[in-house]
Order: sequence, then C-alpha cells, then structure tokens
Amino acid sequence: MESSDSNDKGTIDHSEAQRRSQLDRLEREEAFYHFVNNLNEEDYRLMRDNNLLGTPGEITEEELMRRLHQVKEGPPQQNGDENRGAEATEDVSNRDSIIDWLNSVRQTGNTTRSGQRGNQSWRAVSRTNPNSGDFRFSLEINVNRNNGNPNPEAENEPPVEPSNGEDLENSQSDTETPRSESPSVRQPGSDRSTSEELVTEEESPLRGQRRARSRSPEQRRTRARTDRSRSPINPASETPRRSPNNMPSQTLDHSLVNESEGSSRTRQHVTLRQHMTTTEMASENAVLFSTPETRPAPPALGSPETNGSSESAAPGQRPPTIVLDLQVRRVRPGEYRQRDSIANRTRSRSQTPNNTVTYESERGGLRRTFSRSERAGVRTYVSTIRIPIRRIINTGFNETTSVAIQTILRQIMTGFGELNYYMYSDGDTDPSGPVPSQNVDAPEVQSGGDSGSTSSRSENTEGSSGEVYESSNEGGSASARREGRNARGSVTFEESGSLPFLSLAQFFLLNEDDDDQPRGLTKEQIDNLAWRNFGESDALKTCSVCITEYTEGNKLRKLPCSHEYHVHCIDRWLSENSTCPICRRAVLASGNRESVV
Amino acid sequence: MQRTSRLKRELHLLTTEPPPGIMCWQNTNRMDDLRAQILGGADTPYEKGVFSLEVVVPERYPFEPPKIRFLTPIYHPNIDSAGRICLDVLRLPPKGAWRPSLNISTLLTSIQLLMSEPNPDDPLMADISSEYKYNKDVFIQNAKQWTEKYASQQNRASITPDEEVTQSEASTLKESAISQKRKGNVASRKGKKPCLDS
Repeated sequence: MESSDSNDKGTIDHSEAQRRSQLDRLEREEAFYHFVNNLNEEDYRLMRDNNLLGTPGEITEEELMRRLHQVKEGPPQQNGDENRGAEATEDVSNRDSIIDWLNSVRQTGNTTRSGQRGNQSWRAVSRTNPNSGDFRFSLEINVNRNNGNPNPEAENEPPVEPSNGEDLENSQSDTETPRSESPSVRQPGSDRSTSEELVTEEESPLRGQRRARSRSPEQRRTRARTDRSRSPINPASETPRRSPNNMPSQTLDHSLVNESEGSSRTRQHVTLRQHMTTTEMASENAVLFSTPETRPAPPALGSPETNGSSESAAPGQRPPTIVLDLQVRRVRPGEYRQRDSIANRTRSRSQTPNNTVTYESERGGLRRTFSRSERAGVRTYVSTIRIPIRRIINTGFNETTSVAIQTILRQIMTGFGELNYYMYSDGDTDPSGPVPSQNVDAPEVQSGGDSGSTSSRSENTEGSSGEVYESSNEGGSASARREGRNARGSVTFEESGSLPFLSLAQFFLLNEDDDDQPRGLTKEQIDNLAWRNFGESDALKTCSVCITEYTEGNKLRKLPCSHEYHVHCIDRWLSENSTCPICRRAVLASGNRESVV
Repeated sequence: MQRTSRLKRELHLLTTEPPPGIMCWQNTNRMDDLRAQILGGADTPYEKGVFSLEVVVPERYPFEPPKIRFLTPIYHPNIDSAGRICLDVLRLPPKGAWRPSLNISTLLTSIQLLMSEPNPDDPLMADISSEYKYNKDVFIQNAKQWTEKYASQQNRASITPDEEVTQSEASTLKESAISQKRKGNVASRKGKKPCLDS
C-alpha cells in the first residue's frame, strides 16, 4: 500500500547522514571484496583463521592490509596481543554486559572492555590464540570503598583479621602444588573453613589429598618464583595439611607472630584458581578456569582486638580489586605425566615448599584437585578440574558427567557471584562464605617492607599503593600452551581453534538452556572443499549468500552438491553449520562428493 | 557478511517485485528495521485482514535469520500474544531451518503460508491449537473476530503504517481481557513450548 513512502520519513539531515554512512559502508564492502579477491589462498586462510577479516563494510582495506602484514610478520602466538589493540573496544556498561562481552569474544577473538557502575569499575581483557586454541580471559573489578567495614567484629576468629578489604590476586604463578609433604600449613580458622568449603563442594576433601603434584608448567615456574620471592615471614609449620582442623592453633600463632613483626601494612592475598583439564586420550583439551579474587587488605578494618599492628597498618583506602581469570587451553596427552615428573624433581630439590595443602577428589570421571599454598603473606588457592572432554562430545550433554561439569562451572560462577556479594556487602563478615578470599587473615599480614621484597606480584600491589591489581602472569600461561592434539571425529571441538572451548564454557555458563548451538565444520574440512576462480564462461552467476553476481577473479567454493558460493561467504556459514545453504544437503556426507569441474 | 549490500538488493526486489499479498519497506531510515504487511489469504479466517509485521535484521545477517514478529494481534496456533512466530525457517540450525539462501521475501511468504496452514502439532498457543484441532468452527470464528477487530482494512485504509502499529497496540490494550487470557496460557506453558525463539 502506501508502504514505500515511509522511507522518506525522518528529518532530512538524518536521512542524509544515514545515506552517507550507508554509502561509506558500501564502499568499504566493495573494498573488502576487492581485498579478498586479491588474496592468495594461503593469505586468505591466514586471515580467516585469525579472525582478521571481520565483517565486510566495517573495516577499511588499509586496515585489512595492515592486519595481514601483522599476521605475516609476527609469530602467530602474538597475534592475540597485536590484535587486541586493533579490536579493543571501550564500552561503558553494567555488569550484565560482561556476559555479552563474553559472548562476543567468541566472534572477535580479542577484546578489551571496561565499564563502570556505581562505585565499581571493571575491565575485561580476552585474548585468543587461534593457532593453539588457547583462550584467555581476565576480568578485574575495582571497588571504591567509601568507608570501613560495617562490622569487623563479625569475624570470630580472633587472630584473624576480618579482611574487609582483602586483596585477592590471581596469579597463576603463585600456585604451587607440591606433594603433601609440604609441611606447613597455616590455617587461620576462617581460612580453614574456606578451603574446606571449596573442597567439600566437590566431595570429600580428604580423599586423595596429597596426590596432587603440580602438573602445569606454570605452577612449576611459579614455584621458582616463589622460592625467589620467598618471604622470610612464614616458617613452615609441620602440621599435616591434611587435617585442616588441627592447624588453627598454630596458625594463630603464626599470625600473631607476623603481626608482631609489626607490619604497618596489611596485605592479604588470596588466589582461587580453577583449573580444568582434560585428560582423555584422544582429545586432550584443557579448560582452565581461574577465579582469583584480589582485594587489598583493608587495613584498619579492624578488629582492634585482634591485630594490634595490622589494624593500624593497613591502608584502608586501598580499593578492593577482584580479578577473575579464565583460561582455556589444550593439553597434550602426555603432558601431564611429564609435568608430574618435573614437579617431583622440583619439589625434592627444595624441601621447604611453600606451605601447601592439597586435596584431591574424584567423582564421575572428573578429578578435582584443590590445593592451597601460602607464602610471603600471599595465599593461593588452586583448584584443578580435569574433564574428559571427549566424553562430553560423545555422549552428549545430558550425561551425568556433563551435569557434574555443569555443577562445577556453576560453582565457579557462583564463587564469582560471591565476590560480588562481598563487594557489595563490603564486609567479610560472613565466615562461611564459600569464597576463600574471605578467609584472608591476619597471619598473612606482613610488614610493608617485607611484603615488598616478597614477590614481584605483591610488589606491584603494594607499589601501587592501593591500586591493587594484578593480572595473571602471561608467562605461565603462555608456556603452558600446547599444541592441541587432533581430536578426530569430534568435529565440534576441532573447529576453529579455541572457539569450541569457549563455546563449551559458554554453553555451560551462559547458555545452559540453549542447547541448539549450531555445529559447524572444521577449518580442515572447509579447506578440503573445492575452490576455484570464477571465469567468464560460468553459467551460474550469483552467490546466494550475498545475492551478488560473481565477477571475474572471485573465488568460489563448490560444495559436494555442486552449489557454489563466494569463498568468504560460504566459509563463514560452514564454520557454524554443516549443510548447503541451497539444498540443505550435509556437506560432509560421504558419497556426495562429486568431482570438481 | 554482505549485510548492507544484500539488504539493499533485497529491499529493491521487495519494492519492485513483491510477492503477492506481501509488502515490505524500511521503517524510518534504518536498513535493519523493516516493516511488512501480509494480506490475509482468501478462504482463511484472516481474509481481508492486513497484518503488520516487524522485521529486524541482525548484524550477522544472512548468517542469522531476521527476527520477525507480528505487530497486529492475530489468533493463530503458532503465533503468540507478543507476535512471536513459531516457524522453523526463522531459527538457526540445527533446530531451525534458516539458511543464507533464504531471504526476507521468502520468509514473509512462508509466514503467509503458515497463516493459511497452521501447524497445531507444534503449537505456541496451546489453547488455540487444541481449538483448531478439535473445535475448528470455534477457532475459525474467533480468528475471524480477531481479524475484524485488529486487522480489518476499513479501520486502517487511511492510516500510515506507523500509525497503524500504534493503533493496533492501542486496541490491544482495549482488549486486554482477551490478551490476558492468552498471556496466562503462555505463561503456564512456559518451558514446554517447543519453539519459543527470539
């Protein structure tokens, strides 16, 4: 009817601007095609696999060129960093948008975001290494606390300082999981509760506790660092870590001692790290989840009764920071064994490990290890979960295993939520909180000078006076990276580098109700399809994905069903789907293959 | 990928050679926010009705289907009170049947077909669906009534599409009693609905 008139509505200025922007976009799209047409196959793959092509019309040809050069020059591993700049986006939004952002990571690969809400600000960074399939995501939340904690007294543990502003830091390097030999465990009452809690969530804490050895290189390295940085402060206590319950008294002593040392500055550091790894033979995929939280120790928080020195010391003004670190990476099958041995060696070399406690439990095919170590006033919690991903793939998501995973992941997220709670509540008053951070206690308090010397990490924290913020160490994660093994047959996982992992996590964390994620082809499978240049003589002229006529020099991909499309059009579709857009025939179905014209 | 250029072509085609009984145009100046009208097919309870739809084209189009919903209330087993449509081509595989070779025009045609051929076995509105299955006369009567009330052409002959929308929304309010009833049903079935997209 009078339909098309509506186009003219709106102010002239507006439509003018609109038209211009559309024209610009069209131009860029043209440029994009031009660019893609001129790429050779290798370059095209490079660009595609690194997610550098972007969306036609959004990026100028120059930018594309620049990216191509970058990729060619730099080793692939560095792409992440390089790209990060290019694709970084600034965004102000509330917490929910973090989820959106997480979703978007899947598409963009590398992003940085930050935002602010109320008295807290957050910044999230993600990096994907397309080649190795590693994915790394860290989120840091800063809270400006206006005043002291509401009720410091809430905390029962005498020695324990209610850390209202705890400093949680997540550093992978901190983690050390030596065998149970590691002697001293200091557990302030509160601490104890936390660790226990974590463990219990999963299962019996005691089971298999000391089995855990550090298996990841990061951990190893960490330890080295640790040694270096080992602070004078904590003598290892001989208590068997196994029973957390025993410790309290000792712990208290320690804490007292520390305090007595007269630290003007209180520093508490807790790291919670969740580590998920797959050990299944064929497909070795590891998902690392670390949710460390960092909060600066609230100085004066106060319980005057408890710590004489600490209370005065702590710079109450330090804004609490919470860091969430999530890592997804692939692991090679033999990797763990090797690491084990190395870890053992390391351990034996240095007999006084950082006080470490380890618990290990197994359930439903998942092995979960929990360990806690402490040194230089920094307490580290590491939780490792290994999941046979293969199993997930083969059996579908409904199986019990996956349910267990779901539970775990939810716990992780819950833990994260807890952080929030703390942030808001401002108090660590809740003794039973599942989050370890809560437990940070007096024992960890150190004098400012000491802490400075302890670890580089802590130095950072301290140095910035109040700006506590620690991102996970690059080194550790980078080294940890391993070439993913081929999980043949598990199409979903093979596909496009790290994305599957992310979508796995995402699936569980964010979309648990949405089980219809499209399944696509792997890069290899796509690359195996025929490809040719468009020639004048061809009869079929239009790509039905973009509804654009082919032009000389266009690269076309021909599916087994004989339908052809622009390479860049169909590749994108096939990365998420497995059927021909025209006839819906499965692209991979055997027997469909026809000879290429 | 080629969202803009593709949309441009599609819009051109929709304007110059629209499918019978279907119209589609840009809402305001935005290319990704379209409006469409479908005429009720002859020999259906929707005959003589003019139904407005909203077509939102996602950023990833054509790799994702456009989001289409009815703005005009319609009494139909596969269309809920919010105008959402249960139709496989509106969803991504593996559950759905969307593919990039489809386009807005074909989707609107599919919707037109759905209007004349409801699919009571995959219902969005349980009560309407069972009515359609077991009490067809009543269904037809109700659907006709709704068509007359909300989609009748006389009411809107002289109004522009946008006002039309407003008007239909207003009348929705008036008929809140009916809407409420439908909503209640929707809510009670929550979680079981085989297709609730969007």
